[in-house]
Amino acid sequence: MKSWTRREFGRLTGAALLTALNQPKARGQAKARVVVIGGGIGGATVAKYLAATATAIEVTLVEPRQSYATCFFSNLYLAGLRPFESLSHGYEALAKQYGITVIHESAAAIHPAVKTVALNNGSKLSYDRLVVAPGIAFRDRALNGYDEAAMEIMPHAWNAGQQTRLLRQQLESMEDGGLFVLVAPPNPFRCPPAPYERASLVASYFQRRKPKAKILILDAKDSFNAQDLFQDAWNRHYPGMIEWLPAQFTGGVTAIDAKTRSVITEGATFKAAVANVIPAQMAGRLAQQAGLANQSGWCPVDPVTFESALQPGVHLVGDAIIGWDMPKSAFCANSQAKACAFAIAADLTGSARFPAHLFNTCYTYLAPDDAFSNAISFKPVDGKLKSVISFISKVEESSEVRRQAARAAEGWYDAFTHDVFG
Amino acid sequence: MRPVARSAIAAGLVLLVSQSGAAEEADQGAQLASTCASCHRLDGGGTIIPSIIGLGEERLTNALLAYRASQSPNHIMHAIALSLNDEEIASVARYVAAQGK
Ligand SMILES: Cc1cc2nc3c(=O)[nH]c(=O)nc-3n(C[C@H](O)[C@H](O)[C@H](O)COP(=O)(O)OP(=O)(O)OC[C@H]3O[C@@H](n4cnc5c(N)ncnc54)[C@H](O)[C@@H]3O)c2cc1C
Ligand code: HEC
Repeated sequence: MKSWTRREFGRLTGAALLTALNQPKARGQAKARVVVIGGGIGGATVAKYLAATATAIEVTLVEPRQSYATCFFSNLYLAGLRPFESLSHGYEALAKQYGITVIHESAAAIHPAVKTVALNNGSKLSYDRLVVAPGIAFRDRALNGYDEAAMEIMPHAWNAGQQTRLLRQQLESMEDGGLFVLVAPPNPFRCPPAPYERASLVASYFQRRKPKAKILILDAKDSFNAQDLFQDAWNRHYPGMIEWLPAQFTGGVTAIDAKTRSVITEGATFKAAVANVIPAQMAGRLAQQAGLANQSGWCPVDPVTFESALQPGVHLVGDAIIGWDMPKSAFCANSQAKACAFAIAADLTGSARFPAHLFNTCYTYLAPDDAFSNAISFKPVDGKLKSVISFISKVEESSEVRRQAARAAEGWYDAFTHDVFG
Repeated sequence: MRPVARSAIAAGLVLLVSQSGAAEEADQGAQLASTCASCHRLDGGGTIIPSIIGLGEERLTNALLAYRASQSPNHIMHAIALSLNDEEIASVARYVAAQGK
């Protein structure tokens, strides 16, 4: 297949899409190199925006997987409402249309003093700036007995892929009348509404196919995101099907017994037909190994440039960072990534700096035709990212408004994945 | 302030003034429009969420001003528009309108 040069790309798409910024510093100089580790939502967005708008920068993206499956909309797949393939996105457009060098390898180590990245295959990459966007890892020994082998019996499905398919298979083969146990993690974690969206959509599947089944949520917390909206919807759509037990009732989940597929709390043992165990989280392993995370397990960054507070020349975006008011969502990762790309472009090419606009919107499904949305904008204030404007759907909204939001979510998925993967 | 920092800032100013005002506004428009692309495809495609390509500068400006004034009909566009000042609305509207041509 023909590979496009950047100039041809610009000619082909005409004025549509993204245009190059003015880059006064870059004239007559050797191209600056940016390496991006992690081709998830945050990393792919940084790479694309740098390549498209800072044409004087050479961009390399390091990502082990050939295609990325989105966590967002994976709950619809679990409910049988979307094929798995519809969640998958390749890197062809980033490579061919945007001229990004995509290397399908894992980064093994970072050496900030000499500005190099070592890959698993033994090769080395040099950089002028590095961006690290590794997503999340699970905390070691967060739950007794929940190891790699247990994950194959009681999946987390908190990274989309084989784990998500496994959970779907288990839900499909579960007998009517079975108990589905969902273990919800402590704060902070990837996508605050997502465990409860998952319970809602699995309930809609049970209602259609296994009406006698029950769902038990064992939470590490005493309250959760948009609780009033979820509990109102559970009463309306699935009366008696979903039970939520806060940590103050159970003492919290302390252990897992994969052999009997049981979840053990301080006071009781719950034997599940299918169990989805979502453990406590921290920044991805590479960030831990490279000294980019502090004792909280997450990575402190500058709220304007997203440069690491611990390693100069290294930037981080997405779930791995301490985002203050910004939740760990794909939308936030994408929004931070654009601000980060423009900050790096300004440093390396002299392009103009403007105040960044950081934003989050999540469309969350309560039932296939009932979704709510929030909209929050953030600003750097006193060295932190603070929410300055915030709206969320209301419990008393009409079913027509909710149906429209469920439809708009599909439009968002299309535009958003196009924005990230080209 | 250390002399090094001062001369770096001075150099930055020279670079800024050497750019024309129009180029600067276009760059601001491009950076703001990137935030719209999280929901609106800028290639004119897309489903359900309306396209903003081909609307024209005046219609874009008026739509953003109307969204900024009221939470109805849509709290998402209300929040977006509230985060933009008048100058930002002008530059994003001009930039997006130019993409349709
Ligand atoms: C069920 C569920 C539903 C969700 N729904 C929504 C939603 O509706 N809206 C929303 O905005 N968000 C949603 N999210 C959250 C969203 O998926 C994450 O916030 C988002 O993926 C974070 O992006 P990221 O780039 O930080 O991490 P990721 O997207 O996880 O990307 C990290 C990438 O880094 C790669 N990587 C890791 N280590 C290395 C290494 N050493 N070398 C090279 N590459 C490496 C990984 O392979 C991966 O591709 C949901 C999440 C879940 C679990
Ligand atoms: C979080 C998603 C989201 C983002 C980001 C977003 N929009 Fe929107 N936009 C929407 C939705 C949803 C609608 C439909 C709203 C309605 O029903 O009135 C809309 C509608 C519009 C309309 C009206 C279109 C028409 O034909 O009436 C304009 C204009 C618009 N947006 C401009 C923008 C601009 C400019 C930006 C960037 C500064 C932007 N939007 C960012 C979601 C978004």
